[in-house]
Amino acid sequence: MRLPQMPVPELPHRQHELQFYEGFTQTVYTTDEEKQFPDGRLIVSSTDTKGIITHANDAFVIMSGWEREELMGSLHSILRHPDMPKAAFKDLWDTVSTGTKWHGYVKNLRKNGGFYWVYATVVPNIRDGEIQGYTSVRRKPSRSKVAELGALYEQMLAAERSAS
Amino acid sequence: MIQFLIAPDFPPQYFAGWHLLNTRLQRKTNAAIHLQTPASPQEEQALIASGTVDIIYANPFDAAQLVRDMGYLPLVRPVNKPDEMVIATAASQPLQTLEDIKPDMRVLHTENRDVKLIGLRLLEAVDLNEGNLQWVEADAFQAVARHLIDGDAEVGFFLASAYQGLSSLTLNQLRTLMESKITDISHVLLLHPRHSAQQEKLRSAFLEMGNDAAGQMVLEDLGLPEGFETLTQEDAEFMIDLMETLLD
Ligand SMILES: Cc1cc2nc3c(=O)[nH]c(=O)nc-3n(C[C@H](O)[C@H](O)[C@H](O)COP(=O)(O)O)c2cc1C
Repeated sequence: MRLPQMPVPELPHRQHELQFYEGFTQTVYTTDEEKQFPDGRLIVSSTDTKGIITHANDAFVIMSGWEREELMGSLHSILRHPDMPKAAFKDLWDTVSTGTKWHGYVKNLRKNGGFYWVYATVVPNIRDGEIQGYTSVRRKPSRSKVAELGALYEQMLAAERSAS
Repeated sequence: MIQFLIAPDFPPQYFAGWHLLNTRLQRKTNAAIHLQTPASPQEEQALIASGTVDIIYANPFDAAQLVRDMGYLPLVRPVNKPDEMVIATAASQPLQTLEDIKPDMRVLHTENRDVKLIGLRLLEAVDLNEGNLQWVEADAFQAVARHLIDGDAEVGFFLASAYQGLSSLTLNQLRTLMESKITDISHVLLLHPRHSAQQEKLRSAFLEMGNDAAGQMVLEDLGLPEGFETLTQEDAEFMIDLMETLLD
């Protein structure tokens, strides 16, 4: 399983080789261009139990920069930004797979290499007592929390790098 | 006699419309249906708890309890009528954007929990929360507007449909700071599980409400010009999951 390949950004950018949970490695690009979370909106997506996108609202599509057709059926890690530590997503999956709600601040990668911060909540979709998939709703995060978490994630990433 | 409860957050000018809609519903279903219009969420909760509510036009917040705890069955939802909220100030106030709302300012709101919940979620972006604001309760959205204009608080929370239903004289004295655009959350029509045999018949009656000119007029008077669409069990569950993410 692979993800759609990002185009090389037009803006000045960095190149990263990201190793994904499913075992493949892929090239992604990052720029310093931040896209602001749209006022008054929520960004919504759902996945199956394996993290494959099954639903996305319009705000999700617009913010990601990918076409709806490119997102549906892709792994949700299509949004993974190299500045995010692995531990954050391990915590997400460990929490929701036991049927519990997860909250966290996430820096997401756009198709054009830009980024956007969200405050995300992920809930398991429990139907007839079984987890059928997961839904995430993102709200506009506060700037102070983003600054705080950005610094923490930098430390966590440094620790992950020196451990590997 | 079937009891049909309408959640108490609709604008007062729709009161007659709900009665007209109920008249048509009775004609279409050949059933005696009594409309319950509780004046407050407490009164609504007491009626629900008494077990007498057969059909309910419920707000999304209450849908969770009704569907997940009490087994209410989904019927329909209004088409293109999402529940949105507005954060406003008086035109005479200096506030221009959400960023201008500061800790300890007073916020006028009603008992409507959906509106307060969504308002709080939108204010997180500017580091405001339940604890660092002062809460002033009013008994209706009209009263929120009046008290805002009188300067009794800096900020007011409104159900968007109620805000848009204010007179232009009132609206001219207010300034919108933020209007939500969530689109996935709406009121829903639900049926008590003891009537499961009637689910399809009742659903059809709501779906066909706009099929003739008189029915279409009733819908327009209720601010539901596009009528109703089927609400599946999964639609209801999905909306409840979404509300769940907004609780904290
Ligand atoms: C419902 C749901 C929503 C998710 N949303 C995001 C997201 O917005 N951004 C992101 O990087 N990962 C998100 N994830 C986590 C990804 O599935 C993935 O674990 C993460 O991007 C890290 O990639 P990796 O697991 O291959 O290391 C979400 C997972 C679920 C179940």
